[in-house]
Amino acid sequence: MMRIALTVTALATLLSAQTKDFGKYYSFDEREPKTQVERTIHGLLPSMVKIHGASGLATITAYATGIIVSDQGHIVTLDQILLQKGRTRVVLWDGSVHDATLLRADDKLGVRLIKIDPKEVNGKLKALWPPSEKQAKYRNGQFVVSLGNCFRLAEFSEKLSATFGVVVGKANTALRYRMADVKYDGDIILTDACNNPGHYGGGLFTLDGRWIGLNMKLLDSKETNTMLSAALPSRDLLPYLEEYVLGKKREDVIKKVVPVWTGITLFEQAGRKSPPAYVERVKRGSPGRKLGLRIDDMIVRIDDFSIRSCKELRSVLKKYKPGDTVKVMWKRGTKVMTGDMELMEKPKR
Amino acid sequence: MQDPLDAVAASEARRVAVIDRCAKAVCSVMSMDSPGGGSGVIFDPAGLVLTNYHVVGQPDKGYKQPDPPDPSEEVLAKWREANKDADDEAEVKFILHWKNEWRAEHQSSGASHYKNKKVGLPDGKLYEGVVLGIDPGSDLAVIRLLPKEEGQTWPFCELGNSDALLVGETVFAMGNPFLLATDFTPTVTFGIVSGTHRYQEGQGNRMLVYPDCIQVDAPVNPGNSGGPLFNEAGEVIGINGRISIGDRGRVNVGVGFAIASNQIKNFLGDLVAGRHTEHGTLDMSAWFMTSRDGKEHKRGVFVQQTFKDSIVTEAGVGLGDEITRFNGTEVRSANQLATMVGVLPAGTWVTLRHRPTLEDGGFGDEREVTVKLTALDTGSSRDDNARLASRIDRRIAKDQILGQWLFSGIFAPTEKGAVQWLRRAPDETKNVAIADGERLRLELGRHILVSTGNGEGFARANGETRDLTLDEKERLRRERVSNPMLWLKSQTPARLKDALLLGGVHVHGAAAYRFALPGAGDCEAWFFLDGTPAGFAFRDPVRRAHVQWHVRGNKLRVVVDGDLERGWSSGKRATGEPEEQWFRRKS
Repeated sequence: MMRIALTVTALATLLSAQTKDFGKYYSFDEREPKTQVERTIHGLLPSMVKIHGASGLATITAYATGIIVSDQGHIVTLDQILLQKGRTRVVLWDGSVHDATLLRADDKLGVRLIKIDPKEVNGKLKALWPPSEKQAKYRNGQFVVSLGNCFRLAEFSEKLSATFGVVVGKANTALRYRMADVKYDGDIILTDACNNPGHYGGGLFTLDGRWIGLNMKLLDSKETNTMLSAALPSRDLLPYLEEYVLGKKREDVIKKVVPVWTGITLFEQAGRKSPPAYVERVKRGSPGRKLGLRIDDMIVRIDDFSIRSCKELRSVLKKYKPGDTVKVMWKRGTKVMTGDMELMEKPKR
Repeated sequence: MQDPLDAVAASEARRVAVIDRCAKAVCSVMSMDSPGGGSGVIFDPAGLVLTNYHVVGQPDKGYKQPDPPDPSEEVLAKWREANKDADDEAEVKFILHWKNEWRAEHQSSGASHYKNKKVGLPDGKLYEGVVLGIDPGSDLAVIRLLPKEEGQTWPFCELGNSDALLVGETVFAMGNPFLLATDFTPTVTFGIVSGTHRYQEGQGNRMLVYPDCIQVDAPVNPGNSGGPLFNEAGEVIGINGRISIGDRGRVNVGVGFAIASNQIKNFLGDLVAGRHTEHGTLDMSAWFMTSRDGKEHKRGVFVQQTFKDSIVTEAGVGLGDEITRFNGTEVRSANQLATMVGVLPAGTWVTLRHRPTLEDGGFGDEREVTVKLTALDTGSSRDDNARLASRIDRRIAKDQILGQWLFSGIFAPTEKGAVQWLRRAPDETKNVAIADGERLRLELGRHILVSTGNGEGFARANGETRDLTLDEKERLRRERVSNPMLWLKSQTPARLKDALLLGGVHVHGAAAYRFALPGAGDCEAWFFLDGTPAGFAFRDPVRRAHVQWHVRGNKLRVVVDGDLERGWSSGKRATGEPEEQWFRRKS
């Protein structure tokens, strides 16, 4: 007789979220944490959650990590495709599964808050908050641990993965914004504590348990074929968290953002994906005219940003406000020319 | 306050010393004829090396064991002297017998044969190694180094306790990644335990499953396979064998997996005895499910798929039943159940608690079943049950194990006199066994069998005393030679003198060695890895069945011809002065 032996497969189906207590955390016998690293990791694990969402593509992971930031059920995580559609479920440290509602995302930071119902949680949520300015400091070479659910190795009440490393440095992504798919253009923390798919949205902590960063996607350079683990400084999340978790009004949100105007119309060929920034027309009295730009000049640089296409020029200009002066480099025939341009608000007709 | 720099320096010095000591036992395992290879670690001074199955490679299908030599003239002359009136036919028979014996002594049995390996040690020397046991199910193999001189020993590292590991603990991985070191000095990488009790699915036909592995962020790369993972104390707590990879091909991304040492210990007996180990399975699949059906919350691990004739179905576990406990541990996820089952060898008796589904959709009362795990078919095992190392290898293994126990002092002579051991039978009758040297008294309820030592003895039943039958005599002999519960501890080395390691067995949640004892009756004595008795087995001539006794503490499991006899328990074992009346025949 043919006989097939079945293995006990680890199939997890979540038909519906429910909230009953499912016993204590983890069920293998374990010793107590002894060293500083062990104590820190085990102290932080209850504040970390596993996030499961939808994914349309096989190559895009449908799982991530999040950090509880309030006992009201607010969880901060990296804004990812898995959060965009369908249901989002959150697994707490005790293995309980909760449906999450999506709150406001911050496009500049690339993070999003989600929320679970604190009434459905067994016990009180253990929240983390970005440390004070003094406490948030970190130095190159400082030991760090990174917590997250890389490759979805942990399920339900199983522990997240912990990796260990040092702070490698600080980097300004604005300078290399084309090399990596990063929305944030401030300083980010580079580390050699390994970061992998699923780890995103997890935390980067110092050995004494201070939350210094939120794990970002791997910085991926197509040019050098290198990848770097990075984290968004937790301190930079503060205004966002204060506004949407604590309900404080943020000044720069209230202030209306005014787009800058250069008066330059670019020559965008139809059908071409990223045409270079050739000038097609310059309005009279505009900053472009004051600078001396002419038809067929090609803009190649604005301040430290090199410009390769019309799209890039537009996205770079978004970083400035009217009144700013930028250094422009352009090419006319075989000559390279430079000059300062004072940006303006678009005049009303 | 201590200067932090001093503390760092002290910790570094400790680390360097541990690495220095451990590195001597880390080796490179390479194939004889093709480039590439992996790593390994010597875990026994007799030159036993642990490595990955995938490092050992595929069996050598075309291999034929060399023919045994002809018996020497001396042997033949001796035989002719002893058998003066034997004819030619008898001599041919003798020669055939002698050759068979030579085969058993020098050659391993079983269908699959693996080519010898080149094993390079950090001292720069290259040894030849014989592949003993293999575990394709979870990617392990044991190799024995062939000594360059008589009685050679090797530096080694002991296996530690992987269950004591905690996330965040410091670990080192060693090995020869990318075969960087042509002088075989190992590469050392440092990291922390990123996760414990991880389940990693296998490849192909349920081969190379990592059921209970340790996740580390210490860099592990191709070539590190089979190399050891050390804890801070320098104990081997795992064998590095697998990495999760990202988009960049087969290089480390900070997620490596090591086979836990406690899982290895469960299979150590089989591996060292040269067997093809088999992993156990419950013959069902389970899933984690949560649903709200209006009446009752369903949340837990449920039976998803099984067969009509699988072991669990026969024990009364049905589709949709909730599995609540396995071997006494609460089951919280399907992953966890897979982890706990995956580390056990086939043939292990386990207990399972489940809540049966009722027709109205609810669940019945929790009940417990005891089942024997069947073998998980990896496709490689089908014709290979007879695989066993040569007698030389199994003798060396036995001597080595015995040597360790002697060294640990477990056989120190504190016990004296006769040994008495009590068992309670299912019908609540007491079974007492008393052994004093060659004499043995067995009280099996009202039936009493006594052997008085000189081949004589008597039986007493229903108030009558009579001579022993031949079967009863043999029954007494087999119990006497095989039951380690009736041996004085100090006698153990002498009793196991001619024994051979036969394999491993899992007794009440702990791994044990099986030793084959000489003589008829398939007598086996079992010992846990620390040298305490774990049970015994023999073919019972009175019951005409093969009987196994699994003993641990007061737990006793009696298995008759593969079926469990319920209701046995073990009582006290005591030593003291024997009373002469126990062995005196009264009319």
